[in-house]
Amino acid sequence: MTTITAHTPVATMTGRRSFVRRNLPYLLIAPSVIMLLVLIAYPLLFALRSSFYFWNLQIGPEPQAFVGFDNYVQALNAFDFQAALTNTLLLSFVGTALEFALGLSIALILLRALPGMNVVRALLILPTTIAPIVVGFLFRYLYDPGGGLLTWVLTSIGIPIPAVGLLGSPSTALAAVLFADIWQWTPFFAIVLYASLLSVPEEIIEAARLDRASAWTILMRIKLPLIKRTAIIIVMLRFMQLFNTFDTVLVLTRGGPGTSTRTLGYSLYEQGLINFNIGLVSAMTWITVLIVNIIVALYVFFAFRNEEW
Amino acid sequence: MQKDMIALSRRNLLKGVSSAAVCSGVLGALAASRAQAQDITNVRVLSVEDPFFFSLKAMLPDFEKETGIKVELESLSYDALQARLVSAFVANTSDADVIAVDQMWLGQYLDNGWIVSLNDHIAKDPDIDLADFIPEVLYSSNMWRGQIATLPVAAYAQGVMYRKDMFEALGVVAPPTETSDAWTWTAYIDTLKKLEGKTFKDVPVFPTVVCGSQPSPIVHMFTQISASHGASWFKSFPAQPWDFEPMLSGPAWEKSIEVYRELYRLSPPEAINYVWFDAGTRFAKGDIGMFYWWTPYFYLIKNSGYMTGSKSSVMDVYATAALPKAEGIAQTISVGGWSLGVPASSAKQAAGYAFIKWATSKATQKKMGLWPDLNYQFSDFGRASLYEDKDLKAVYPYLDVQYRMMKQGNGKVTRPPVPGYTALESVFGLTLNQLLTGSEAPAPALERANSLFASILKGNFMIPYQKESYDDTLDGAKALIGKLANS
Amino acid sequence: MPSAKSSLYTILTYAAGLLFLAVFIGPILWFIALALRPPETAFAMPPQFTFTPTLNAFRHILVDPGTNAPQLVNSLVVAIGAVLLNLPFSIPAAYALSRFKLRGKKNIMLWYLGLLMAPPIAFLIPYFVLMNRIGLTGSYLSMVLVLQTMTIPFSVWLMKSFIDEVPAELEEAARMDGARWYTIMWRITLPIVRPGIIVTSMFAFVFAWNNAAFPLVLSARSTATLPVGTLGYFATSGVTWNYIAAAAVVAMIPPMIIFLVFDRYVVRGLTFGSVKG
Repeated sequence: MTTITAHTPVATMTGRRSFVRRNLPYLLIAPSVIMLLVLIAYPLLFALRSSFYFWNLQIGPEPQAFVGFDNYVQALNAFDFQAALTNTLLLSFVGTALEFALGLSIALILLRALPGMNVVRALLILPTTIAPIVVGFLFRYLYDPGGGLLTWVLTSIGIPIPAVGLLGSPSTALAAVLFADIWQWTPFFAIVLYASLLSVPEEIIEAARLDRASAWTILMRIKLPLIKRTAIIIVMLRFMQLFNTFDTVLVLTRGGPGTSTRTLGYSLYEQGLINFNIGLVSAMTWITVLIVNIIVALYVFFAFRNEEW
Repeated sequence: MQKDMIALSRRNLLKGVSSAAVCSGVLGALAASRAQAQDITNVRVLSVEDPFFFSLKAMLPDFEKETGIKVELESLSYDALQARLVSAFVANTSDADVIAVDQMWLGQYLDNGWIVSLNDHIAKDPDIDLADFIPEVLYSSNMWRGQIATLPVAAYAQGVMYRKDMFEALGVVAPPTETSDAWTWTAYIDTLKKLEGKTFKDVPVFPTVVCGSQPSPIVHMFTQISASHGASWFKSFPAQPWDFEPMLSGPAWEKSIEVYRELYRLSPPEAINYVWFDAGTRFAKGDIGMFYWWTPYFYLIKNSGYMTGSKSSVMDVYATAALPKAEGIAQTISVGGWSLGVPASSAKQAAGYAFIKWATSKATQKKMGLWPDLNYQFSDFGRASLYEDKDLKAVYPYLDVQYRMMKQGNGKVTRPPVPGYTALESVFGLTLNQLLTGSEAPAPALERANSLFASILKGNFMIPYQKESYDDTLDGAKALIGKLANS
Repeated sequence: MPSAKSSLYTILTYAAGLLFLAVFIGPILWFIALALRPPETAFAMPPQFTFTPTLNAFRHILVDPGTNAPQLVNSLVVAIGAVLLNLPFSIPAAYALSRFKLRGKKNIMLWYLGLLMAPPIAFLIPYFVLMNRIGLTGSYLSMVLVLQTMTIPFSVWLMKSFIDEVPAELEEAARMDGARWYTIMWRITLPIVRPGIIVTSMFAFVFAWNNAAFPLVLSARSTATLPVGTLGYFATSGVTWNYIAAAAVVAMIPPMIIFLVFDRYVVRGLTFGSVKG
């Protein structure tokens, strides 16, 4: 019994069809759905309503005037919107891709089950367990232009870093923020992909080897298709988290220099919790939610097109 | 397989027991958090983690002994404190009985009825000694529309710090300790240029250091220069009639930007990302000639690292000096700091006021200044008499200089504490930050910022101004202090 | 059969392993060193790798009154509470989604996931208003509840993938014997999928433990969690790097211990090794 079937036959329900029986799956799902509906619908509806009002908490605790779509216009025309959107998309796409690629490479190396490599694998997950805000502090320390370990390492091996520091130069700041995220989440991909690859039945690979398939062919044609589902899901999860990046930006750069590391998440933070412009931040929330929804919906449509549910 | 199952089930049992224990623990804790005792013998103080916090904390046993009231003092970061306070105010919950209030928040907190006016308490209080507070400080940080809503627990001005030994060795004339027409920003830059390209004790010297990080740090530092040059944010504020038409154009602003750019050119390049403390820490490391910043750095730089209590390499070789002014314009110095106020939602107004009175009193502030731990880290006095105190002067030899800076202070001009200030600061900080790195001319960048200011202010119903104006002047503040002190 | 080629591979593999440790674990050790080193050596250039360790920073954050010890407890309460509350909601849903034919299953699954897309930072103020309306402001429960928006969707998805992998033959056999669905779920599926529950709980715990945004506004003085406390050392007049590092190290420890101790389950759960046996 080693073959794992991804999908199981559906339970056939026979006998007396009571209400509970008929609606059993829905009843099992209902508690979670109701819980989440309350928790998510409230802020979303709150934001929808507020987005049509001028409401600055610094001016008063109640919405101050109905302004129609003004907040949306203002959000889209904001001086930092374009930069924030571009940076966010860059971070999410490049970050997810690099983390997946690096994670997969590490997973493949870990699969060469040599004695001792288990220790490496066990320790490898540690960065992923750290709070993003702490990772922000850690990298701020490592990047310090005066006494940071990373500055020292890079300079020692002859890689020039900008005089303003990695976080100070518009050309490197975003990459530096991204690197912190890659450091934290590559192990997550590595461990999950490693575990999934481990579950690929040895017989299939043996059979392919006997057919003189190259290691590359085995990876692309056999291993990856078999772990496709896992891969699709973790890529999506990671993409969505990256899209909302804000705590590392807050600690590392506060969106600077200029607008070079401003993300949608940081702009939301700034408008919401520094400027307290509830109307504007509500409009920005809906714009952000719509953008990420469209991207993920497209992704899901294409990635899961041929998947059974 | 069989063995496995037994092992598994034993593990199960253990797991079940332990999770039940955890479960009940959590439930107990949940219940406890809901049932917080409303003890009349305690007062909850929500503060910010600035230097004054540590010496204030060390004095708490005195207050508890004197009054029998127990103090729960908590500190938060600036961001967390503001987020927490505004949320709590909007929800009208009593999160604390005394809160630390930044001068920028005062107007909105009071206008919205989130904190209470202390006028009545002060008028009825025979021994608060209100007249002892520096009027410029109360005016800048504590008064709004004729109400004293907070009292200063830590008052800051800005001043110059420089390396005595470096200036001597390189033959550069030390800056003066008193404001004079000769000590201008031009003279300041000329002095810095004499340090350019020099080495001191085998280390290459950076003439100065600035803050480049947006939004707040760069605005805090830059606005000192713009205030010196007589630049104002708005058409008419704080004197009446209030008109918030933004005025970010003209020679005063452009000149200020040129000065700041020049200062950045004379700084370590990574200063573009420096926030408040980075500039101070950098000076304390020993390769900076001279810089200006908030007066707490007068003592912070003598320690290596904040709150470590260990001396920095510049401890015995730095001195303080007067802030430069602009040619032919009366000096205006930035005044800021932290004050304490009582939230309207607190049920313990009297106890809250008692704590504020104690924390800002002459005796407590002196003890905070003389607290030896952390190598003496508190001289942010809001009371004039403490600047004359012999014991304090022995510990903080620069108090004369600091007092002279305070007396030229006007926080309402340098950074106007108007509703929506933070949004303006975001835009302005970003513009300044871009101007430091880029090569854009000041005028078009200022024009861009100005139109963003206008749209923010219109969006916040500040243009045209719809509420009543208030003639907010230093003379008016002095009159109010006199009235309350003598009643 | 060690050939030259395979021993070269072996060497390269070990070299890669060491590189991974240096890159991914090195920075963590460096941060721990920051918490232990004398403050004045924190930014020494070149970096000082040897120093006399001191526990002052840990003493400050854990022992000195009014610092981080209560926040550590708060973090534990919130994270454990979030996990415990999450399981009864997510396991039945995951089971149903895995085992039954449902109209719109794809949409339901997507809906759960869609919730993870919402930017948490934008919800802070609405949540604050909501918690205030139901009288939970500042309580642990407010944070535990709000964290469900992250833990439930995550757990439903992860759990479903685990349950999917349980061979239907096992359930089929029980069904033949006349067992009811709940007996099957409780007695057969859930025990097999236990490693999955553990893995799910671990991830959920770490999510909850590491969340800094919600407690920023939802916690009160007495319920603030450790990440909020860490931010406190990032003040306007100075960064207390040793204290930040000490608080951060304390915040890192529980998730790390969980992952290291349950390491066997991480792999087993993810690979579903327990089915073999």
